[in-house]
Amino acid sequence: MAEKEKWGIANIYSSFNNTIITITDITGAETITQWSGGKVVRADRQESSPFAAMEAASRAADDTKEKGIVGLHIKVRAPGGNGPRTPGPGAQATIRALARAGIRIGKIEDVTPIPHDGTGRPGGKRGRRV
Amino acid sequence: MPTTEYLKIPRERVGVLIGKKGEVKQNIEKLTHTQLEIDSEAGTVVINPQEDLEDPLLPWKTRSIVKAVGRGFNPEIALRLLDDDVSLDIIKLTEYVGKSKKALARQKGRIIGRDGITRQIIYEMTSVDMSVYGKTVSIIGDLDNILIAKEAVEMILNGSRHKSVYGFLEKKKQDMKLKHFQDTINLK
Repeated sequence: MAEKEKWGIANIYSSFNNTIITITDITGAETITQWSGGKVVRADRQESSPFAAMEAASRAADDTKEKGIVGLHIKVRAPGGNGPRTPGPGAQATIRALARAGIRIGKIEDVTPIPHDGTGRPGGKRGRRV
Repeated sequence: MPTTEYLKIPRERVGVLIGKKGEVKQNIEKLTHTQLEIDSEAGTVVINPQEDLEDPLLPWKTRSIVKAVGRGFNPEIALRLLDDDVSLDIIKLTEYVGKSKKALARQKGRIIGRDGITRQIIYEMTSVDMSVYGKTVSIIGDLDNILIAKEAVEMILNGSRHKSVYGFLEKKKQDMKLKHFQDTINLK
């Protein structure tokens, strides 16, 4: 890789309620830009939609390119822990939108936190009583 | 420059992944622009993306396709995962039934139902594909539908009667219809 090419990391947190994109430099310590589904749509229920994710991703891509970063490694994360372990609807849309915005995509990694036996699931012994 | 992915599938599913004279394997490779290295002794699969890949998501999707085949799906259904909207969800039964083999067999039976009728109803009501295999239940379909199917399976596992699960599915189907209708109106 040429020395002048700068790469970063895109941390994508995709739940069923929102999609949060945090773009950092390669160390992961310096945040370059943060975008989320909630920043681009009005209605709460659309925050997690693929459309909101795409919109947020393309804006994040603009900010990233401004800083002179040509490529991004991707870390996708679902809520994990006790919750769902599969990324929500926004994850794929985000990656696709980043690629379409002219950013090179490096490694794609799943960093969902998986407990090695953690706390119990909510609901208790008799389940959720509505 | 997407990188290689490694995963493991049960040994008895390796044959399905390869197919007759490697047909299935070749088909997957062609559709996903990847190279599959399958070790039939250990059941390990290595996914090598081809050079000059346009779509960075393809190795990611290949991974879930291979996983779905490993989880008991027929390869044709697993290839539905190539679609952007379709995803795979795996429910581990051990989280609900514990370690007992008897309980596992019983609950699997309850999910499938007599002559597969419960499974059939879940298919039809939520338009997903479901596979009950080993210690897992796997679902392929649209995200919204997966969530409904998953909740129905969880209800069965937590001891609900089949009748109330059918009622729940019926209600959800109506809700989905209404939501779909409202969405189309909003778009216009």
